[in-house]
Amino acid sequence: MSMIKEYFILALKSVWAHKIRALLTTLGVIIGVSSVILLMSLGNSARLEAANQIRSIGSNLIFVSVFDAQGSLPNDWISLIEEQADIDAYSPLISSSVSYQIEGQNIDVSISGVNERFAYINSLDMQLGRFLNEYDVEFNTPVVVLGSKIPDLLLPNQSIIGSTIIIKGIPFEVIGVVQERGTNFSGDNDMMVYIPIDYASIMSGFSSINKTFYIAANSEDNIDFTLNRVLTYLSTVFPSDSNYRAFSQTQVLGVLETILGLLTSLLAGIASISLVVGGIGIMNIMLVTVRERTKEIGIRKALGARQSQILAQFLIEAVLITTLGGLLGLLVSYVGTLVISWITDFNVVLGLDAVVLSLVFSITIGVIFGLYPAYNASKLEPVEALRFE
Amino acid sequence: MIQLKGVTKRYVMGDNIVMALNGVDIQIKEGEFVAIVGPSGSGKSTLMNIIGCLDVISDGYYELNGIPIKDYDQDELADIRNKQIGFVFQQFNLLTNLSALENVMMPMTYARVHKKQREEKALHLLGLVGLSDRTHHKPTELSGGQQQRVSIARALANDPAIILADEPTGALDTKTGQEVLNALKELNQQGKTVVIITHDVEVAKNTNRIITLRDGLVLTDISEVKS
Repeated sequence: MSMIKEYFILALKSVWAHKIRALLTTLGVIIGVSSVILLMSLGNSARLEAANQIRSIGSNLIFVSVFDAQGSLPNDWISLIEEQADIDAYSPLISSSVSYQIEGQNIDVSISGVNERFAYINSLDMQLGRFLNEYDVEFNTPVVVLGSKIPDLLLPNQSIIGSTIIIKGIPFEVIGVVQERGTNFSGDNDMMVYIPIDYASIMSGFSSINKTFYIAANSEDNIDFTLNRVLTYLSTVFPSDSNYRAFSQTQVLGVLETILGLLTSLLAGIASISLVVGGIGIMNIMLVTVRERTKEIGIRKALGARQSQILAQFLIEAVLITTLGGLLGLLVSYVGTLVISWITDFNVVLGLDAVVLSLVFSITIGVIFGLYPAYNASKLEPVEALRFE
Repeated sequence: MIQLKGVTKRYVMGDNIVMALNGVDIQIKEGEFVAIVGPSGSGKSTLMNIIGCLDVISDGYYELNGIPIKDYDQDELADIRNKQIGFVFQQFNLLTNLSALENVMMPMTYARVHKKQREEKALHLLGLVGLSDRTHHKPTELSGGQQQRVSIARALANDPAIILADEPTGALDTKTGQEVLNALKELNQQGKTVVIITHDVEVAKNTNRIITLRDGLVLTDISEVKS
């Protein structure tokens, strides 16, 4: 142990004696370590972000869709499912879109015909007013709930609640505005408006009814069971499973996590090539160092250094250089995460795993690429080495 | 203590085989003060490397302290160089990035002497060679004579029985050279076996026995009894 400390001090002195060279040598490791860590942190943050976004929509959610021209589901199908599984709520959905010309600009708005449970199922929160209620849906009142971007675009400088907007020639009274949601697989939620489903079904240009449904299972544990019931039912109604699609939010989450995880590993893998390149740089400079210090090695051997002691001395020096590189790389990637978090509103966090990994990486690189030069040094013949000038 | 019988050393240089030593028989007893002299090419440096376990023999027999060197492995040879032999080189061979003190401490590091003891011993030895006020100087900040005294202190670090000095005065002027020789003479008087390799007969005259080499063979071996 005391010998290792001895070599460590020796290595520190020798690195300090060639500061600039050590820094340049270690640049490869710095770049390698920081890019691997940065990409890993980015990937992990993206995964977290995606998971959070999906959870905010509601993790109990099951999405059912029948493709066009394949017929539609019978009106009473949901009650058949309700008999077999615990369904908390459901809403059918039909959709269309409409384009507004405002000051020469085209503004495309998606229109969703839904029932009063839709907000609950999708965890929509209100920014203003209220969502559709059961009377609106039952009595087909011409009311509309707006996505968060709509008021500024269609009703600038107006009081929003109580205003009227025209959809496909029909005036609708605005009763509420939904909080900002961002974009997900169903499009830009903030550019959507919601109207009562039956009202929508008699308007022109909407998809046909009984094709798309949102179902909320009554608990997270029940999702798979409910989804299975739905799929079993669908298979009795349609000839082929290519006619419909049913999936849960957790499945989407799983797929997304798998894809992002794969992407992260791929990028980190590519970045780790630079670590290998950095390692070769270390090996190169260590070979030069050993050659330069042949005389020193000869003197040390003449004075009683064993081969293993010379090996340890140079190996520790290589590991020290790469470890310093790893630490600097960690610093660079930390600064990198700060910059990314500052420029984008994406919160990138350097994990403890990244810190540990960078140190393990850099030490391993030092051992792998320092071993050959150190072995060369240890095998030098004392007489030959002493004669070297 | 040192016994060589029919020792040969061959070097292969391209297609030629060069015989540096051609069958050398030498016996050196404990406490002797010996000079090995000869012109360059006589094989005296090769002989010194072999005695110092820095090089291995091609044929023959070499015994150190009663044990044939062939029986030792690399690590044991390193330990012999470390503990049983103290080297003094013509070019001093001090490590330039270490202080005088650290240079003297180095052999003790390899002998795994405790740090505190190492430092005490090194300070003591530097005191013996008159360099107490130069302990933290780097070799480049010392004169040639001072550097050679540091290397003598270093040679004594692990209390070896044998001091091997290869042209110890070669890089020094006559006066400082004589000081170094006096130091070696003193070490011999304290009981160390001292072997000096030199081409200079004047240097050799300081010793009690002069072995002359020529073409890899012992030419003469003259012991004189000094009053």
